[in-house]
Amino acid sequence: MRRLSFFSTLFLMGSMSHADISMTSQMDYESTAYFADSKLSEVGNDERTNQSLAFRTELYGEVAESQTITFKPFVRWDENDDERSHFDVRELIWHKVADEYELKAGIGKVFWGVTESQHLVDIVNQTDVVESLDGEQKLGQPMVQLLLERDWGNLDLFILPYHRERTFVGPEGRLGLGLNYADAIYDSDNGESNIDVAARFYTYIDEFEYAVSLFHGTGREPVVGFDSSSNQLLPYYPTISQLGLEMQYLNEGWAWKFEGIVRDGMPESPQTGQPVVFDGVNLTVADSETYFATTAGFEYTQVGIWDTRIDLGWVVEHLYDSRQSDAPAGTFEHDALLATRWAANDAASSTLLAGVLVDYEDMDYALSFEGTTRVFESVIVSLEARIFAPSDDESPLWGFRDEDFVKLTFSYYL
Amino acid sequence: MKKLFVSSVLILASAFVLAQTPEEKGLSIAIEADKRDQGFVDSKVELEMVLIDRNGNESPRELRLKGLEGQGEEGDKSLMIFDTPIDQKGVAMLTYTYKKDADDQWLYLPALKRVKKISSKNKSGPFVGSEFAFEDISSQEVEKYTYKYLRDEKLDGVDCFVVERYPTDRYSGYTKQIAWIDQAEYRVMKVDFYDRKNSLLKTLENKGYKQYLNKFWRPDESYMKNHQTGKATRLVYKNYEFKVGLNDKEFTKNSLKRAK
Repeated sequence: MRRLSFFSTLFLMGSMSHADISMTSQMDYESTAYFADSKLSEVGNDERTNQSLAFRTELYGEVAESQTITFKPFVRWDENDDERSHFDVRELIWHKVADEYELKAGIGKVFWGVTESQHLVDIVNQTDVVESLDGEQKLGQPMVQLLLERDWGNLDLFILPYHRERTFVGPEGRLGLGLNYADAIYDSDNGESNIDVAARFYTYIDEFEYAVSLFHGTGREPVVGFDSSSNQLLPYYPTISQLGLEMQYLNEGWAWKFEGIVRDGMPESPQTGQPVVFDGVNLTVADSETYFATTAGFEYTQVGIWDTRIDLGWVVEHLYDSRQSDAPAGTFEHDALLATRWAANDAASSTLLAGVLVDYEDMDYALSFEGTTRVFESVIVSLEARIFAPSDDESPLWGFRDEDFVKLTFSYYL
Repeated sequence: MKKLFVSSVLILASAFVLAQTPEEKGLSIAIEADKRDQGFVDSKVELEMVLIDRNGNESPRELRLKGLEGQGEEGDKSLMIFDTPIDQKGVAMLTYTYKKDADDQWLYLPALKRVKKISSKNKSGPFVGSEFAFEDISSQEVEKYTYKYLRDEKLDGVDCFVVERYPTDRYSGYTKQIAWIDQAEYRVMKVDFYDRKNSLLKTLENKGYKQYLNKFWRPDESYMKNHQTGKATRLVYKNYEFKVGLNDKEFTKNSLKRAK
């Protein structure tokens, strides 16, 4: 299926005149070094270094008056993690712009949200977890999207006919902690082919921007249960309904941000036991609950500090989840982000983002540093470092205590 | 007879000019310059932006600029799309200029599919690493400044008005600008920018003016020199087009995402 669409796109693009097609490609070489040996070397990977290559390209062309096709394939090879070596069609989408509407059909990507620390509201595309820890890399999502732009605002309507499973770092990847996952189980009888629907209304009044979104269908976030027949973790995808709200207000150097969701249909994760258990025959799913989660905070930017060209930003966000201690591992239920963003405004477009995410009740810390600069006309160098500092062995971060790493990436554009 | 009539009008006109205060004359020059550029409806131009460091090393980038003239009390709208550096390809910036209020600006980052609103406080910041600030590249509406006519002066053999102008926006990075505007066509030939400490920061020179559609004068090149850092930015304009049939729909926040 993927191969077919790949060739049919090439054919479609081949039928256009050469001048109509634009192509941009990017090759990444990534080298990661871990500070310590893994404590899980008997089950997982005990390598201290990891190399990886990725290639992505974008083909874009006009196929008819006001109609375009975009094709973005992506492929990665990873030295140690077979799950991270993967291929994905990030986009393969037809886009028609008419006077009264826009229509898109194919595999697409959209982004919803305003905050930095996490993207609660952003539900259309599945997260490609193996790509990065920040959750900002997404898998291509099959969709039909209708966009209406009116005086009263914008309305986007989506039909999402196919569900993509979240990727997980494999047992050979250092951040996979040696864990294995069983095949996913769906709440919906239609499995991955359930037809999900979504809508988002967004507009702005002066310096105030807001959006309201609705989603109904198979959730993108799996509930991780247990498959006792294979002794593996079990990703379970419940049918959920979600209401999302995004707000941003700009006032002088301040950007006040809020994202919130109310979600119904997620099985409760009890503090002892599993939300979902499959014994090979019977599936036991805990009762579902309605909960809400929010991210709220601000970014304050000082333009041209100390009489230089440098912009300095301060990011403060509070992350909350109403399930508190019943929230599944990995949830930011009572956390805060403190970060600083530097933009050099130089010819090399150098930027730096450094921050700490603190669980202020359990006193777990996760530090991150991301810097990027252009070294030649078409080469970008990025440095990412992460340090995990869990408080004790009760912490969900405990497994990551020896997984601190530095990652250097060279991106060559052609 | 006709000649006599013309010269008497000129005498009358100069008498009127003499009666103006320097502030009134400065404003009337700005109004006249603005009036002479009215009616372009919309425009398109390709831009090469060359960043030049103090050692003369050049770093080029290419972008395209589309503009839509505001109707009545509206300001102009503009859309800027980057083609290079190639890692910035598809980055686009939309600006709504307002005559009295601060401009609205949005930046689209294609890698994340994210549209970010730019705070109006950022207007004094450098635009994509260049010596141009955001406020230098936005539409120069009359109401953005108050004015004071200084003197007449020849600049490279061209008779100019020299006018001081003071930004009305408190977030401007400048205390004042001194502009040389040619008397024949009311084109901005040169601008000196003074920073918040009132010392000379930058000089802009517009070169190679050409007339389009028998009315609109546009330079082939704008050169901005930063006197305090020794850096400079050269903008070279190519393939100007006017009245190409752009409409409001191409200048919406949503349209940023499909700007290619």
